[in-house]
Amino acid sequence: MRIPLRPRARVGLAAASALVVAAGLTACGAGSRTGAETAAQVDCPVEVDSPTTVNVLAYNSSAIDPYTNAMVRSCTEGDLTVAHEPIDFAGQTQRTTATLAGEEGTYDVLETYGYIIPQLAADESLVPLDDLVDTYGEQYDLGALNEGMREAMSYDGSLYAIPMQAQMFLMAYRQDVFDDLGLEPPTTFEELRQVSQAIQDAGDFEYPLALPWLASGDITTAYDAALGSLGVDYVDPETMTPNFDTPEAAQALEEMQSLVPFMDPQVTTFDQPAVQQQMYNGDAAIAIMFSGRMSDLADEDNTQYAADFGFAPPPSVEADGPQFSALSVDGWSIPANSAVDDDVLFQVIATSVSEDASEASLPAAYPARDGVADSSDSPIIEAASEAIDNAPPAEPFPWTAPISNETRPVIAEVVLGQTSVEDATARMQQIATDVLAQYS
Amino acid sequence: MRRRDYALLVSPSVLVMFALLVVPLYRTIEWSFQRVRYGQPGTFVGLDNYREAFSDPRFLSAVSFTVVITLTTVTVLVLGGYVLAVLVNRLGRRTRPFVLGLLLVPYVVPGLVGGTMFSWLFNDNFGGIVNQLIRALGLPQVLWFTETWANRGLVGASVVWFLLPFAMLVMLAGLQGVPTELLESARMDGAGTLRTHWSVIAPSIRGVIGFVALICIMDVLRLFDQLIPLSPQAVQIGNESLVLYIYNQAFLDGGQRLGLGSAMNVLLIVLIVIMLLPFIRDTAREGRNA
Amino acid sequence: MSDQSTVDPEAAERPTTTRGADAGRGELYRRPRGPRTSRIGGVVAGVVLAVVCVVMLSPVLWTAFSVIKPTSVAFLNPPTFTFTPTFDAFVNLWQTTNFYQYLINTAFVAVISTAIALVIGLPAAYALSRSPSWVSVALLVAALVFRALPRTAVVLPMYEIARTLGIYDTRIALALALVAINQPFSIWLLRNFFAAIPKEIDEAAMIDGCTRLSLLRRVIIPLMGPGIITAALFMFLFAFQEYLTAVVLTDVNSATVPVFIATQLGQTLPLLQQAGAASLLLTLPVFVFAFIAQRYLIAGLNAGSVKG
Repeated sequence: MRIPLRPRARVGLAAASALVVAAGLTACGAGSRTGAETAAQVDCPVEVDSPTTVNVLAYNSSAIDPYTNAMVRSCTEGDLTVAHEPIDFAGQTQRTTATLAGEEGTYDVLETYGYIIPQLAADESLVPLDDLVDTYGEQYDLGALNEGMREAMSYDGSLYAIPMQAQMFLMAYRQDVFDDLGLEPPTTFEELRQVSQAIQDAGDFEYPLALPWLASGDITTAYDAALGSLGVDYVDPETMTPNFDTPEAAQALEEMQSLVPFMDPQVTTFDQPAVQQQMYNGDAAIAIMFSGRMSDLADEDNTQYAADFGFAPPPSVEADGPQFSALSVDGWSIPANSAVDDDVLFQVIATSVSEDASEASLPAAYPARDGVADSSDSPIIEAASEAIDNAPPAEPFPWTAPISNETRPVIAEVVLGQTSVEDATARMQQIATDVLAQYS
Repeated sequence: MRRRDYALLVSPSVLVMFALLVVPLYRTIEWSFQRVRYGQPGTFVGLDNYREAFSDPRFLSAVSFTVVITLTTVTVLVLGGYVLAVLVNRLGRRTRPFVLGLLLVPYVVPGLVGGTMFSWLFNDNFGGIVNQLIRALGLPQVLWFTETWANRGLVGASVVWFLLPFAMLVMLAGLQGVPTELLESARMDGAGTLRTHWSVIAPSIRGVIGFVALICIMDVLRLFDQLIPLSPQAVQIGNESLVLYIYNQAFLDGGQRLGLGSAMNVLLIVLIVIMLLPFIRDTAREGRNA
Repeated sequence: MSDQSTVDPEAAERPTTTRGADAGRGELYRRPRGPRTSRIGGVVAGVVLAVVCVVMLSPVLWTAFSVIKPTSVAFLNPPTFTFTPTFDAFVNLWQTTNFYQYLINTAFVAVISTAIALVIGLPAAYALSRSPSWVSVALLVAALVFRALPRTAVVLPMYEIARTLGIYDTRIALALALVAINQPFSIWLLRNFFAAIPKEIDEAAMIDGCTRLSLLRRVIIPLMGPGIITAALFMFLFAFQEYLTAVVLTDVNSATVPVFIATQLGQTLPLLQQAGAASLLLTLPVFVFAFIAQRYLIAGLNAGSVKG
C-alpha cells in the first residue's frame, strides 16, 4: 500500500500557519519589555564610540529587578544596549562561575553579594573599583551609599562592588491567625517552637513553619544564621582555626533539628520561592527568609492572603543574642574578563543606584543609599530597619564561601536525620581545616 | 563498489565523526589521567582519578541507581509498549491517527520540560493533582521528592512516560509486519489470547523487541535532564544518575574536578560497551552480510 | 521526491525486512477483517486506551491549566477549578524575555543540524549498505557505540575546544556538535533503509550509465521517502530536545528554549507561570508535528529501520 501523499500538503499547511502565528506574536511583542517600561528612568550620560552590548547577569526577585530594570531602561540608548534576561538564583550562581572561568566572559556586569566578594576578589576575577569611584563618585553621588555596605563589598582595602541594597532575614507571619490564637510574633527559637506548636494544635496548619532549607542551596545559610545567632563564626581569623568543634556549632544543628516537626517533611527541597508559595497557598503561617522576598507576599496579584501578612525581625536562637539572620549586601561588580570598557560599565552600574532608582525599589528592597529607606512607611522596611542592626556580622574572608559550600551536604544529612550531630561537627571541622590549609 | 566511490561517499561523515567525536573522546581519556581544570594545562596523575572514583560512595551509589532505574524502566517499557501497540493496532483507520498523535506527545516534549511538567503533578506547592487524588482516597501522604524509593518511583514513572510512546511506536511498526491471520487469532477472546501473544506474535517480532530494548537501555543509561526538576535532592537520597553526577563534578562548579569526571566518563563507556556486546556482535555479523 | 512515480513504488514501500512475516506487510491502517468476536474486548481496550491517553497527556494539561489561571490562584493547594482564564503569562513571556529568540535558536539549530546530518549521512549510509568490507563493519560498530556514548564524554571537551576556537556560544557550534552526536544514529538508521532496497536496482541503473552519485541522487534517495523522513524526524526531535549539549555550549547569545526554561525553575510566581507558558509554547509546535509525523514514523520504521 502506498503512503498517501496528502499528509505532506498538510505538513506545509501546518508549518505555514505556525509561522504566521509566530510572526503575529513577534509583531505585537517586538522590542517592548514591560518590566523595563515600568522601571525608573534616570539620567544615564554614558557614551560609546561603537555599538556596544552590556550583558547583565542578575537573578530575578522583586528586590533586585528595580535596579536591573533601571539600568536596562535608562542606559539603552544610541549605540549602547544593556541586555538582561530573566534567570533564577541557581542559574546566576552557575553562570557566575562559568563566565569568570575563561579568558573572556559572556557577562559584563554581575550581581554579587558580600558573601562571595572576598573569594572572587582574592581570585582577581573582579575589577577593583576605587579609581572609578574617584573619577565618577561626585557625579553619581556615590558618597551617599551607606559606608557599612561599601565596606561589606570591599576586600583587602579595595571596593569590588557598588552596593545597591542590604538584605537580612525577616519573619512574615499570618497576622489573622496570630490574632485568632492570641499569639505574639516570637523573638526567640523557644517562642518560635511554642507559637508553631500552638498553630499546629489549632488544626488549620499541619506544618505552620516554612523556611528555605534547600539541601543543595539555602540550608547552609540557615546554619550560618543559627551559628551567628549564637555569637560564633565559622573560623577564628586570628588563629585560623575553625569553630565547628565548639558547643555552639553542635547547638546550632540541634536548634535546626528542633524546628523540623513544624515544617513540611519535604522542606529540604524548598528554595525561597517555594517558601513564598507555601505562604501564598496558606499552607504555612510563619516564614523566615531574606527581606528581598517579602514584598511579593503583600502583593494581591500573588495571593488572597496578601492583606493578612505581618512582618517582624526574625527571632534569635537564644534570648538577647543576635538574630537568626544573615546580613547580605547586594551590589554590582565588573568581571575582570569583560571586553567592554570599565568606564562605560561603571557608569551603567552607578546609574542604577541613583536616588530615583533606589526610591523605586521600595518597599521590596532596603536601599544602600542613606536616607532612602527612612522615607518609607512600609511595614517590611520598618521591620528591616529594626532587624539590620541585630543581624550577626558577615565573615568577609575568602574561605567563607568554600567552607559554606563544602559543609552543606553534612548539614543536610543532619536535618534529614542521616547523620548524628557529633559526627557532623567532626566532619565539618575536618572540611573547614582542609579548606583553610589553602589559605595559610 | 569501487574503492574510490566508497571513500568519496563515506569520507564526509567519517571526517565529521572523527573531528567532533573521536577528538573530544580522546581529550576525555587524556583528562581522566590528569588533575585539570578548563583552559589550564593538566598534570599527569596516573590512575589517581580512577582510584578516587572507585572509593567514592557517591559514584558507586550513582552506578547502582542508574542500573536499577535502567533495568526496571526498560522492562516496563518493553511490556507496556507491546500491550499498548497491540491495543492501538486494533483501532480503525479513523481513530488510530488521532490516538497515535496524542500518545506521541510525551516523546516529543524535551526531557527537561517534560520532567518539569511531570513534577508539578506531584508537588503540593503547585497544587499537585496526584497528591490531591491520594488524599481523596484517604491514603497517607507520599514524600515524592525526599523519600528515596518514592522518588525513584516518580523518576521511573517519568522515564516511562517519556519513552513509552517510542516503544509503542516501534512495536506497532513491528506488528504491521505480522501476518493478519496471526493477529486475527490473537483477537479472539478467552484463554488463548495471552498464549498466542506469548508464543507466536511476540517471538515473530523479537528483533523489534530487541531494538526497543537496545534504544531504551541507551537512553535511560544517560538519564540526566529529567532529574533536575524531578529530584532536587538527588544527592542526599542516593538518586543521582551517573551522567548527572559527572555533570555536577566536571562542569557545574566550573569543572574543578574535571579529571575525576572524565575518569567516570571512561568507566561509564566501558560499562556501556560491555552491556552492548551482544548487539555489537549482531551488528558486526549484519554488516558483513549486507 | 517528486519523481517517486518514475520507479516502482511498490518496491520502495514493501522492502523485505521483518523476518518470517510476509502477509499484509506495509498495510498501514488496516481494518480488522473477519467476524468481530470480541465486542467486550473492544470496549475494554477502548477504555484502557482512553485512560492511557489521559494519563499520558496529564502533565501537559495540568501545566496548561496552571498557566491560564490568574496568578493569585495559579498554584493554589488544593487547586481551584473555577477561574477566569487569562493569557497574561504568554503575553508577559513574549514581551519581557527573548523567548522568541530562543525559539528561533532552537529551530535553527534543529533544522541546520538535521540538514547537514542528512547530507553527509546519506552517502555514507548508502556506501555502508552496499559494501560489506571490514571498514563498513567497523564503522557500523563504531556508530552503535557512539550512539550509546555518555554525551558528557564528548560535550565537555567540546566546551573547551569551542572556547579555544572562539566559537563558544554560537548557534553554528551547537548545530555542528549536534550533527556529530546525531551522525552515528542517522547512519545506522539510514543504512538499514538502504539495505532494504534491492541491489538489482543499482545494477540496472549502473548499466544505464549512472555514476554512483547520480544513482544515489536520482534513483535510490527518491525510493527512500519514508525512510529519510523517519531519520530526519528522529534527528530533528533529538536536536530540538537536547539540553546537555545546549547548556554546555551556549550562553546568552545562542541559548535554546530548554536551556532558558532550566534557568527559570527557581523563579517566583509570575515568572514561574511564564516558565510554564514557555514549556507549552515549545510543546505546541511539536504537538502538531507529532500528529503529522506519526504516519511517516510508522511507515519508515516499518520499511526497514527495525530489523527482525
